[in-house]
Amino acid sequence: MASKEELIQELTDAIISCKKDRVLEAVEKAKGVMEPSEIIEKGLAAGMNEVGTLFERGKLFLPHVMMAADAMTAGVQVLEAEMPAGEQKKKMGVIVNGTVEGDVHDIGKSIVSTMLQSAGFEVHDIGRDVPIRDFVNKAKEVNADMIGLSALMTTTLPGQKEVIELLKEEGMRDRVKVMVGGAPATQAWADKISADCYAENASEAVAKAKELIVKK
Amino acid sequence: MGMPISHIMASGMTGIRAAGDLVARMEFSKKMRIGEAKEYVAKKLGVESMDLSDEHVMRELREELDIGVITSVAGAAKGIAAKMNIEKLLDTKINSCDLFRKQIA
Amino acid sequence: MATEYALRMGDGKRIFLSKEKILEELEAGSADAADLGEIPTLSGNEIDKVAEILMMPGKTVSVEQGMEVPVTHDIGTLRIDGDQGNSGVGIPSSRLVGCMMHERAFGADTMELGHIDYSYKPVKPVISNECQAMEVCQQNMIVPLFYGAMPNMGLYYTPDGPFENPGDLMKAFKIQEAWDSMEHSAEHLTRDTIWIMQKLMASGSDGVNFDTIGAAGDGDFFGSLHAIEALRKEFPNIYIEAGMAGECVLGMHGELKYDGTTLAGLWPHQQAPLAAKAGASVFGPVCNTNTSKTSPWNLGRAVTFMKAAVKASTIPCHVDMGMGVGGIPMLETPPIDAVTRASKAMVEIAGVDGI
Repeated sequence: MASKEELIQELTDAIISCKKDRVLEAVEKAKGVMEPSEIIEKGLAAGMNEVGTLFERGKLFLPHVMMAADAMTAGVQVLEAEMPAGEQKKKMGVIVNGTVEGDVHDIGKSIVSTMLQSAGFEVHDIGRDVPIRDFVNKAKEVNADMIGLSALMTTTLPGQKEVIELLKEEGMRDRVKVMVGGAPATQAWADKISADCYAENASEAVAKAKELIVKK
Repeated sequence: MGMPISHIMASGMTGIRAAGDLVARMEFSKKMRIGEAKEYVAKKLGVESMDLSDEHVMRELREELDIGVITSVAGAAKGIAAKMNIEKLLDTKINSCDLFRKQIA
Repeated sequence: MATEYALRMGDGKRIFLSKEKILEELEAGSADAADLGEIPTLSGNEIDKVAEILMMPGKTVSVEQGMEVPVTHDIGTLRIDGDQGNSGVGIPSSRLVGCMMHERAFGADTMELGHIDYSYKPVKPVISNECQAMEVCQQNMIVPLFYGAMPNMGLYYTPDGPFENPGDLMKAFKIQEAWDSMEHSAEHLTRDTIWIMQKLMASGSDGVNFDTIGAAGDGDFFGSLHAIEALRKEFPNIYIEAGMAGECVLGMHGELKYDGTTLAGLWPHQQAPLAAKAGASVFGPVCNTNTSKTSPWNLGRAVTFMKAAVKASTIPCHVDMGMGVGGIPMLETPPIDAVTRASKAMVEIAGVDGI
C-alpha cells in the first residue's frame, strides 16, 4: 500500500499533469488513507501552487492552468460529497477585478483573473475601461472581499486612487481590500494611495490575495 | 524624449553626424553583425572602424562623397539624391531610390 | 563606513548601495535570469565590469570609443507631437518634422514612421495618409526609415474585433473555443500586416518594425512570424526588425508552433533563432524591469538574458531599452544616470549589435 507521502506526491503530480481522469484516480486512491481535507490541502492545492509557479516560469501555459483548475474542482467535488456539511471547503474569497476607466488593456488583468480563479477565489472580472463606480457597485453586489485594479498607462493610473476614495466615501474601505497592478504601478504608488497591496505579476497577485483575504 | 537622446549620446553612432546610418543599413540590408557591418562600411569608405563614429573624419568625408551632411552646403545632395549615392557607395539597393527611378523612367 | 554609490530602484527611486551590496545584487539578478532561461550566469569578471560601470562617478557614462552601435528609434516621430499616455512631449509638429529632428538634431541612426494608435489594425482605414507621410519623409531623409506599429493581436478580440475574447472563454473553461479564437485572430493579424506593408513598401519604406511582438501571447508571436515570412518572400530586400514585448512569450494558447518549436514559454535566446528563420533582419530582445528590485539586480538580470540572446542569434540583436525594459527603470522620465549605465553595460558586456 502506498504511503501518505507517496499519495500526496501522486495527487500533486496528477494536478500538474492537468488531466482530470488522473486527478480523480489519485483522489480515489487517497480516500481510504487520508482525510478529505488533507487530500485537498496537501495534495490538490499544493499541486495548484506548483502549477502557478510553472506558469510563471514559462513551463506551463494558460490553458494548462485552466485544465488543472478544472481537474482540481472535480476532485474537490468528489471529496466534498463525503465531508460533513460544516467541514466542506470554504470559498477562499470573492474578488472583483478589472482595468480602470480610460484604459483598454485587457490581457494582463485577464491572466490575473484566471490565476486567481484557478487558485480557488470567486472572481468577477468586470473587464476593461471600467467606470470607477462600477467597481464599487459590483463589490457591493457580490459582497467582495477584495477589488483588483489594473492600469497600463500613467494617465489612467489615478483611476486606482479614485476607486479607493469612492470606497471610503461609501464607508466600504474597511471591509474591502484593494490590490493594484499594471506596468506603471509600483509599491511606492500603492503606499501613496493607501492600497493594501501591489502585485508585480499574476502569481504574486495570487500569493498576496491569499495573504490578505485569509488573514482578514 | 530624454531617454533616446541619452542612448544616442551614450552608445550611438550619431546617424548622419558620422556614419551611423551607413552601419545600420548594412545590419538591416545584409543582416551583418556589428563588427562585420563596421568593417564593411569602413572598407568602402577607406577609413578605420573607429572613424565611423568620429564627427571630424566623417563631416568632411560625407561632403566629399556627397552622401548627406547635417549642415547646409550649397548644392549638396539631400534626401533621395544622397541615398542614391549611398547605394553606389555601399553596393546596396534602397527601396525609396528604386521607387524614384521608377517614377522618372 | 563603506562608500555608498547613488543608484536606483526599478521604479527609478534613488538608493545608496555599497560595493559589496552592488555585487550581491548583480549576482542575484544574473542568477535569476540563468535559472529561468537555463542559460549561463555572468562570469566574475563580467559582474565586476558591470559593477564598475554602476559605480562610475559621473552622472552619465558612455561606451568606450570605437564600441558605438546603431541606435534604432521606434515611434520617435510621435513622441515630439503626440502623447500616448506614457510617452510624448506634445510639441505641435508634423511627423516629417519629428523624423527630421531625430535625423539632423538628435543623431538617430534609423527612424520609424508610426501612427498615433500605433497598432497595425487601425492603420487600415488611414492607409493613404500613412503612404503620403512615408513618401514625403523618404524624399527628405537619409537615415533608414521604417514603418512601425504593434501587432497587438488583442485588437482582434471582442469588444475591439470580431473574435470572442479568449480570456473570457478560458475563464469559462471553453479551451477549444479560446484556441480557435486565437488562431483566427493570428490569421487576421498576419493578413492585415502584410496588406499594410505592401502599401508602405510601394511608398518607399525601407522596411517594417514589428514593435512589441507577443504582447497578446504566443498567438501574437505566431501571427507576426508568419507575417515576417510572407513579407520576406514578397520583398527580398525589405528591412525587418522583430522587436519583442516581453522576456518570455506568454502561453495564452500553449500549443502553437513555428518551425516545429512551441512558441509559448520561449526566452530571448530561444526567440532569436525563430525570428531569423522567419526572415527578420534584426531581432529586438527584451528583459522586463522589476520595479521592486534594485538597478544592479535588474541590470545583472537583463545583461545575462541579452548576452545569451546575442550568442544564440544568427542576425543582429538590437536590445529593447525603453522605459521599464533592459535594466532601465519603469518611469516616464527614466533617470539619465540609469539609462546611460544600462546602455553602456548592454553594449560592452552583452555585446549587442544595436539599441
